Amino acid sequence: MSRAQDKVGTWIGWAFFADLANGLALTFGYMFSKPVTMQYPDKEKWLPYSRYRGHHFLKRDEEGEIKCVACELCARICPCDCIEVVPYEDEKGNRHPAKFEIDTARCLFCGLCEDACPADAIALGQQYEFSSFSSADLVIGRDDLLAKPGKAATGGGVVAARLNTEQGVLVKSSEQQGYNWWRNIRRT
Amino acid sequence: MELIVALGLIVFKVAFLIAILLLLPLPLTWLERKIAGHIQQRMGPMRVGWHGLLQPMADGIKLLTKEDHIPAEADRFLFKLAPILALAPPFVVFVAIPFGESVSVLGHEITLYVSNMNVALLFVFAVIGIEVYGVIFGGWAANSKYAVLGSLRTCAQMISYEIPMGFAVIGVVMLAQSMSLLDIVRAQADVWNIVYQPVGFFVFFVAGLAEAQRIPFDLSEAEGDLGAGFHTEYSGIRFAFFMVSEYAIVLLVSVLVVILFFGGWNGVLIPLPPLLWFVLKVAFFVYVFIWFRFTFPRYRYDQLMAIGWKVLLPLSMANIIITGVLLGAVGAP
Repeated sequence: MSRAQDKVGTWIGWAFFADLANGLALTFGYMFSKPVTMQYPDKEKWLPYSRYRGHHFLKRDEEGEIKCVACELCARICPCDCIEVVPYEDEKGNRHPAKFEIDTARCLFCGLCEDACPADAIALGQQYEFSSFSSADLVIGRDDLLAKPGKAATGGGVVAARLNTEQGVLVKSSEQQGYNWWRNIRRT
Repeated sequence: MELIVALGLIVFKVAFLIAILLLLPLPLTWLERKIAGHIQQRMGPMRVGWHGLLQPMADGIKLLTKEDHIPAEADRFLFKLAPILALAPPFVVFVAIPFGESVSVLGHEITLYVSNMNVALLFVFAVIGIEVYGVIFGGWAANSKYAVLGSLRTCAQMISYEIPMGFAVIGVVMLAQSMSLLDIVRAQADVWNIVYQPVGFFVFFVAGLAEAQRIPFDLSEAEGDLGAGFHTEYSGIRFAFFMVSEYAIVLLVSVLVVILFFGGWNGVLIPLPPLLWFVLKVAFFVYVFIWFRFTFPRYRYDQLMAIGWKVLLPLSMANIIITGVLLGAVGAP
């Protein structure tokens, strides 16, 4: 009996385009849902998680001396052979790099240099905006690497930001964490 | 003197109509992209102007400055003629369309229509039929397989959907006892035709979707299998002509649905100016067109033909017979 009723209901629904109406209702609902767009260069910017592997940076110790001992293990382990280290000895007899160059155009950001480093001197940081028109600009020297931003303390979120080609990215946000972008995604 | 004033008024109205029809695609493209974006949880154009409001201008400048390319093997005369043939009929049709009774400006009564033809409905369908020539010339002249296949499909589609479309309005004509669009609207002052002619409305609206080449019936420009259909080879401003014509037809079908089935400028419940009522109703149907486009998938070609000949045609014929029998038995409502 109920099966027959179901069948009648299906036919009535078919005659009055119930399926088409369902589709229209769904898209209408979606029209008023919040867009998931991250307006990246214009308004917002994604803060990477602290585990993110962005641009490399070199660390300094407490005295402000470069931590790197120029052992060249990073250059050895690098799968794309993009690190070039030339050591020198300073007046105290410590070994440091005279030249430390990373060709980021060739780098695949695997993080093996960070793992191999015995002095905890190199790591991959938070910065991901370093595109360039010339691949020669992507060869980063020792002093530039020392000036790069380090690991993210917090991360994973969207903050208000505006990309300005002259001044770089201006992040203006009071909340460090940023809002969780994933919450906008509607799952039905 | 009076003749000159009357002529001047007609020229002014026609110029005004043409200006509106040429400018309306700008906000309509913006609206379409915005609605598409939000339905798909995107934002649509955001970067040119406030919320991308100037995006259509940027598109227009882009289309104007692009190379006007004509394929080497094309029939140059027909290739140049086709966009104009596609653009002109939707514009011409609006001559017969009333937008309201009249408004008084500086003590003069100015009617809101260019002409009140007594065969306006016939004129509308006759002129829309000419649009097929733009499509078939465009597809043929480009000398491209995509374009020819697209134009063949489009012609078959437009011709087969024109028949149920024409039959669907006969019920309306029987109720109003007139083919003048003005009289049809006046006859709906109390009860709109949608109450008496739901089947007629359904057939007309579906056939109108097909006539306007919109999803789910946009077989002519099925991107997946035909490139862009009959206007595959067009670029620059000639392509813009086809786009303007498409939007003009969307507008035209919305206007016809409102005039024939939804009481034209007659309002219900809320007393608004008649012209505003008319514009609101038309805007609603334009929205429905866009809404459909981003909801439904495209029909297959044989399904399209089956819907036209096996569903809409019998439905519209039955509608005529039942309307006639009821009119004869019960009398005019």
